[in-house]
Amino acid sequence: MLMLRVRFHGRGGQGAKVASRVLGTAAFLEGYYAQDFPLYGAERRGAPIAAFTRIADEPIMERGVISEPDVVIVMDKTLLRDHQAKPLSGLKKGGVIFINTPQSPEEARAEYTIAGQIITLDLTKICLDILQRTVISSLAGAVAAKIVGLSEASLKAAVEKVISEIVTDSVILEKNIEAALYCFHAIPAVELKTTEAVQMESRVFTMPFEPAAISSPALNTTGTTVLRKTGNWRVFRPVWDYDACNKCQICVARCPEGCILVNEEGFPYVDYENCKGCLICVEECPAKTLGKEREVHAKADSEEVIG
Amino acid sequence: MGIERIKSIKDLPPEENVFSGTPACAGCGALLSLRLTLKALGRKIVIVNAAGCFTLLTIYPYTPFANSWLYTAMASAPAGAQGVRDALDILLEKGRLDPEEDLKVVVLTGDGAAYDIGLASTSGAIYRNLDFYYLCYDNEAYGNTGFQRSGATPFGSGTGTTPPGSVRPTGTELPKKDLFEIWRSHKPPYLATISPAYPVDLINKFKKAEQYKGPKLFIALSPCPPGWATDPSYTVKLAKLAVGTGVWALKEAVYGEVSHTIVPKKFKPVEEYLKEQGRFAHLFKPVRQEETLKKMQEMVDDYWKRHQLLL
Repeated sequence: MLMLRVRFHGRGGQGAKVASRVLGTAAFLEGYYAQDFPLYGAERRGAPIAAFTRIADEPIMERGVISEPDVVIVMDKTLLRDHQAKPLSGLKKGGVIFINTPQSPEEARAEYTIAGQIITLDLTKICLDILQRTVISSLAGAVAAKIVGLSEASLKAAVEKVISEIVTDSVILEKNIEAALYCFHAIPAVELKTTEAVQMESRVFTMPFEPAAISSPALNTTGTTVLRKTGNWRVFRPVWDYDACNKCQICVARCPEGCILVNEEGFPYVDYENCKGCLICVEECPAKTLGKEREVHAKADSEEVIG
Repeated sequence: MGIERIKSIKDLPPEENVFSGTPACAGCGALLSLRLTLKALGRKIVIVNAAGCFTLLTIYPYTPFANSWLYTAMASAPAGAQGVRDALDILLEKGRLDPEEDLKVVVLTGDGAAYDIGLASTSGAIYRNLDFYYLCYDNEAYGNTGFQRSGATPFGSGTGTTPPGSVRPTGTELPKKDLFEIWRSHKPPYLATISPAYPVDLINKFKKAEQYKGPKLFIALSPCPPGWATDPSYTVKLAKLAVGTGVWALKEAVYGEVSHTIVPKKFKPVEEYLKEQGRFAHLFKPVRQEETLKKMQEMVDDYWKRHQLLL
């Protein structure tokens, strides 16, 4: 029995669940048995989530999350350094890892010390160009479909079926198909020859028993969330033009995160380590002196070596 | 306890009492409402948080707050606040707590808890004249679990449990509960609606509320980018449009007497607010639902006519 296991890693709102749905549907339409399902906690745009697809030529009896995938699709490269997501965990030897990044596979391999076959493509840019948004579900589904060797016809039919269940706008549907097919053709055909698991990282911690005074979660400190570095949620970063800025402080008042500060000269600046890139500041700047730049190399928040 | 009103955005209290790095969605209108509220209330507070989106702000070992925080089930935040207030009062009476160290008790809930699940316990707390602040961040649905309809969901909105379809093309068919009027019938000392897009009005309302002992209640219309299907950068723009179109009336009630604090000079058509949002997209495409749009405009007009502010 042939069985391929694909795992998608994305951030809430990027469309990892729908991507796995597109892949599963494409496989089903091509005559395979397929499973697809997501795993996430409370609804939160930006939080790491995973989604899974199993494809086989016989009925699939296996259930549960995929801990040893043949293919890993990383829809947001900042997840590669995320302690919770661990996208490379369990990837089989000979397996394929796809990363949504403008980097070349060689650059990505060097930056993240990854074993295995790497494929890269800047899905976010393609999505912005075609759909003017950053929900890359059909694009990631298309990439996965090409890697596992499904046909263009099945992919097209799957995107049509899945996306039309979500949006009523026929223009958005057509653009999703266009973007998916573009990605399908931009990805080289690959050979999947997977064997035993490599890059396994344990997710299980053994907690010793502690007295209640030590083990109960009492917080005797303030503002610890700043340590979480939500800056890697950003697709765009706000950028100030101090020559034109009139220090009206509207950006400071409008920031939900409270991470726009004021320097000694009265000019606003942002804590890029935690700015999520909502861009309310850019939208609200009355003098239009605030611009945005695509975040290409988000600052890594950990020096941990992966793999 | 003089009320010194602030006049402009430059007068906002500079101290930040909600720190960055929260797990709230980018562009969260509720987080902006909370941030401004805590600028007004300061650090000497205890937050009693009912289950909701903001449950996730504080997950051990992380907290975005500079103050204490107590978590309760959805229905029981006002009851939790009663317990905290009583404990503080007993300590003060026994001389075990310096009056300087007294804390304000603040209930923090979403609209699910405020309009539905926790309404009974809130009514009880107002009835008992509990001395506390209550902030409802109203994003007009159960936003934390997939945007299901709540008692705060307006007529015409699509939600996870009221998706527009061939049988019910409008989505939600029931109108939004008037929580302001439900609360007002209890005649609390202070009650107000607020908006994250009007920080000066927001801060001044908290300053005014400060002089009253008893329940001080606030409802903040808080745009929700994932639930409303809007771009995160539009959050403030939408909050402004809600006020500018008359959908969200900024007002206060002192012992039941209502006054409007911001009235648009010229009301924009409600459609301008609706067409920006994915949750109302079905009203425009594929077929424009004229009757529904007309009804929504009438609902807003009726409100302002009733208050003799739209002639």
